Amino acid sequence: MTGKQLRWVRLDNAAKIYPAARRRNWSNVFRQSATLYEDVDKDVLKSALDVVVKRFPSIAARLRKGAFWFYLEQVEKAPEIKEEYSYPLTYMSKKEMQKCAFRIIVYRNRIAVEFFHSLTDGTGAHIFLKNLLAEYIEQKYSVTVPIEDGILDRREPPKDEELEDSFLKNAGAVRASRKDTNAWHMTGEIQRDGFLNLTCFRIPVEDLLNASHKYDVTMTAFMCAVVMKALLNLQKEKNPCIKKQKRVKVLIPVNLRKLFPSKTLRNFAMYTIPEADPRLGEYTFEELCTIVKNKMGLEITAKHMGSMITANVNDEKNPIVRLMPLPLKNAVMKAIFDSVGEIKSCLALSNLGRVKVPEVMGKYIQRFDFILGVQADAPYNCGMLSYGDTVYVNFIRNIKEPGLERHFFAVLQELGIPVTVESNQKER
Amino acid sequence: MYCIKCGVKLADSEKKCPLCDTVVCHPEFENMARGNLYPENKIPNTVSNAKTINGVILILFMIPLIICFLTDIKINGRLDWFGYVAGALAVSYVMFAFPLWFKKRNPVIFTACALVMVILYLLYISLSTNGGWFMSFAFPVAGGLSLIICTVVALLHYLKKGRLYIIGGALISLGAFMMLIEFFLNITFDLPYLWWSIYPLSGLVLFGGLLIFLGINRTAREIMERKLFF
Repeated sequence: MTGKQLRWVRLDNAAKIYPAARRRNWSNVFRQSATLYEDVDKDVLKSALDVVVKRFPSIAARLRKGAFWFYLEQVEKAPEIKEEYSYPLTYMSKKEMQKCAFRIIVYRNRIAVEFFHSLTDGTGAHIFLKNLLAEYIEQKYSVTVPIEDGILDRREPPKDEELEDSFLKNAGAVRASRKDTNAWHMTGEIQRDGFLNLTCFRIPVEDLLNASHKYDVTMTAFMCAVVMKALLNLQKEKNPCIKKQKRVKVLIPVNLRKLFPSKTLRNFAMYTIPEADPRLGEYTFEELCTIVKNKMGLEITAKHMGSMITANVNDEKNPIVRLMPLPLKNAVMKAIFDSVGEIKSCLALSNLGRVKVPEVMGKYIQRFDFILGVQADAPYNCGMLSYGDTVYVNFIRNIKEPGLERHFFAVLQELGIPVTVESNQKER
Repeated sequence: MYCIKCGVKLADSEKKCPLCDTVVCHPEFENMARGNLYPENKIPNTVSNAKTINGVILILFMIPLIICFLTDIKINGRLDWFGYVAGALAVSYVMFAFPLWFKKRNPVIFTACALVMVILYLLYISLSTNGGWFMSFAFPVAGGLSLIICTVVALLHYLKKGRLYIIGGALISLGAFMMLIEFFLNITFDLPYLWWSIYPLSGLVLFGGLLIFLGINRTAREIMERKLFF
């Protein structure tokens, strides 16, 4: 295949900010991984990857620079399989993104894929991973994986609807206001060598569901309330003076495919940010659940999300912005990202939901994990999903102190929810 | 297995509790490398920002150095005052920029390095001006001050408690040292003795004594904290 024949796509509306916002020690990368029961056969995986990269040209892509915008270009061939380091989501350099903006990493029985966020969102990435696993399992164990639960026909060409920018298609007439208050900024001693501490909490689904039902909220809302309670307790510990405390806010990404008719494999997510102001007094866990539930109920609607999409799309369509040369545009977007992007929340809690795979695949897959990279200026982030009878909650941080994790565990313990914890910790 | 301190259930791969750093203690469990979530001690070779920044800082120091060198040669036809500029830049560099090259910055070592540079710079000035004041004044004064500063930095760095005692003691020592400075001024420059040093001595002893008193007396410390917090 020659360079001219390679498919290219413009960055979608959400993806545009990420190349501009990246910096020397931070790239917006997230990871999805699957742990198998047996060690991974790298040769078979390579062969499976060769098939899958052709099916997902917008994900198996590299970042390229135009005069006015970045764009994605399909990679000619599958990237080399990389080895695991002591921590996930190592820095993805500009040079690496220009070669291939995702990585395949194998460690014993685990296949991990790390994506630059401009390629896709959690849902798109998950479909990519599941299809890679399906192809791997088919080739390795000579079984047939049915086309269901997000498994696509890997031999057919990509569909236009999978490559569309659904933001542009679903923008409405009225734009939502972006005015929002700033959140408490967690701090700590930064790991100097770029090490990221990962702490994974394994929680039985049944216990978490029972507890969520007890408080009449969804699992996402329940976990958000737990994280908010942990943040409130942590802030109280660090800064006992109530008057000086700041709002605790958790960003929950919202998969817009459930609200709008879209089958895109590119970014199509928005967010909602439940918050609690500790200056108003102590919050009970029930109160936090109510806050999160009401906020999610109010904002996770097609109408509200549509107005948020409109705000972003209108900015992108602004003729002055469009005609601005890329370096200038990058500088402006970076300034906007720094001033309004991450300071509106303490961390993100991204729930990929319940992972379903065809039964024939399930026999070979032990677990899935979803790990977000830390934010540019905030030390924490959290990704979760459930698979089988376990919920996997992965906290990542670039600071030494596991303060939030300690409080998170304490809150779960108070609620009577059992957890098992594992980590990649090194000597502190 | 469970953490004996915070009670969290730990995966078998854990050597320490990730939440409270307590070492896992169970004779029946042998940590199996096989179960580790990630390989140990495998850190990528990332491009270090620090090295680039340090290189830039070094260049920023070199620019005035080169300009002064060329200017001195151009004006005087030889190196005249360049040595003072070079010495001052070297002292500033060792004091502020040199520690940035190191990952682990022990303040005790770097403070000592900076003070040695100051003493060497004073020696250079004394020799180049034929001042004759280095051994009788600059060396004992700079040496004594360096000793006090290094001791305070070392105590603050290595001892977790007793900051009020350390700073109080340092202030009293500094007060006493003022008398020594005046003594060296007297023998080197024939200035009158016990002329001014008594004033900083009394002030520093009073303030240092107050800090030590606050260190001893918890009630007084709490009253001061209540009155002076910001």
